[in-house]
Amino acid sequence: MSDAEPFLVWQCRTCGYIYEEAQGDPLEGLAPGTRWRDVPDNWICPSCGTSKPEFDMVEI
Amino acid sequence: MIPQDVADAIVDPKAYADQARIDGAFKWIRENAPLEQAQPQGFDPFWVVSKHADILEVEKQNDLFHNGDRPTTLMPIEMEKKVRATMGGSPHLVRSLVQMDNPDHMNYRRLTQGWFLPQNLRSREARIREIAKSFVDKMAACGERCDFARDISFLYPLHVIMEVMGVPESDEPRMLKLTQELFGSADPDLNRNARAVTDLDEGLKAIQEVVGDFVAYFNAVTEDRRANPRDDLASVIANGKIDGAPLGFFEAMSYYIIAATAGHDTTSNTTAGGMWALAENPDQFAKLKADRSLIPGFLEESIRWVTPVKHFMRSATADAEVRGQKIAEGDWLMLSYPSGNRDADAFDRPFDFEITRSPNKHVAFGYGAHVCLGQHLGRLEMRALWEELLPRLESVELDGEPRLMQSNFVCGPKSVPIRYKMH
Repeated sequence: MSDAEPFLVWQCRTCGYIYEEAQGDPLEGLAPGTRWRDVPDNWICPSCGTSKPEFDMVEI
Repeated sequence: MIPQDVADAIVDPKAYADQARIDGAFKWIRENAPLEQAQPQGFDPFWVVSKHADILEVEKQNDLFHNGDRPTTLMPIEMEKKVRATMGGSPHLVRSLVQMDNPDHMNYRRLTQGWFLPQNLRSREARIREIAKSFVDKMAACGERCDFARDISFLYPLHVIMEVMGVPESDEPRMLKLTQELFGSADPDLNRNARAVTDLDEGLKAIQEVVGDFVAYFNAVTEDRRANPRDDLASVIANGKIDGAPLGFFEAMSYYIIAATAGHDTTSNTTAGGMWALAENPDQFAKLKADRSLIPGFLEESIRWVTPVKHFMRSATADAEVRGQKIAEGDWLMLSYPSGNRDADAFDRPFDFEITRSPNKHVAFGYGAHVCLGQHLGRLEMRALWEELLPRLESVELDGEPRLMQSNFVCGPKSVPIRYKMH
């Protein structure tokens, strides 16, 4: 994925937490611009602990 | 084993109305027995999960720690026997998401999950803000004094959830009364018999009557929404299907009851507690007034500060180990959310109200599959209210002693008298 491609938004299926690639989640150690595919596979939802595969790409 | 006086305190509804007493009990537990068994008088023994990290550890293992096998909230031995005797062996008076395990939990949660997601709630934000503004106007009309809990915070989230459920405004006082009789069943100011509960049979009977009144009300709602579906949450529940079949009667009634009670009372408690905290911390109020971008942080700190849900129980489905303790299959565990939210290992200066606290990963909404379904609605309601109120609120201070409700389950302030200036 090139940086020119639009940033995407991913959402936790359990609690609704939203991960926006453009904003990242600095408190989770994910800098703004961190693509979903670069988020570590063992990362879990900071709100409820759901694992990464249980997130869906959504349009907000 | 946790000492008897401490064990007795953490189940005593009166202790939760005395902040210093309950904080002291859990502080002692966190420092001396962070995951030990307690056996309060009249109760089966249970493990007290007092540390933030351990609450997360237990809550994320839903197959190992079940909600539904034993009572999901604290219940004395004799009461559990009576409940099981009247409920066909079940230890629960209702069967909502809170009492379910998978696969039922997942199936029933999916039914309304999308409805409660932020993208769906966005379409309701303008209406919620309109309601918030009407309550801010009401507060201004009160003059310079009100009981913020009774006059504003009990009523605003109630109005929002009843409107989205499709309950007419004329029935809101009834819903508020039933909610307070249920969650305030141990509080003589709020319970059905309006007196201290000294007799277990009488206390249980009063709770069963409240549940019966809810069921009678929502049974009629179900029939109406099946015949005339509308754009409301009641229609979703009434017409919802699990595996192609309508919801079970007991489960549908329980779904309405949890929405009609926890759907507003928790937000009310947090809002009232937030105002109380601002009145007691003028530096935080000034900071918030000066920078509205701090509102989200203020909300999270209010939620941590109040932690309106005081506990849920789990039971182990197999032998397990947490914090080096051997938990046996069938053991009962108390997840203490107020304790987790005052844990010094998770929060710097946990007994300070600090609106710029970051990170603020409180466990007030729980964690894992059972994390609060209505958390986004609650946050939206509170954000709308404070965004409307703060620009008009010039000053606020306490105008008497606030009082907390007596309950070991869901509770918060029942009275927050304030004196203020608004324009």
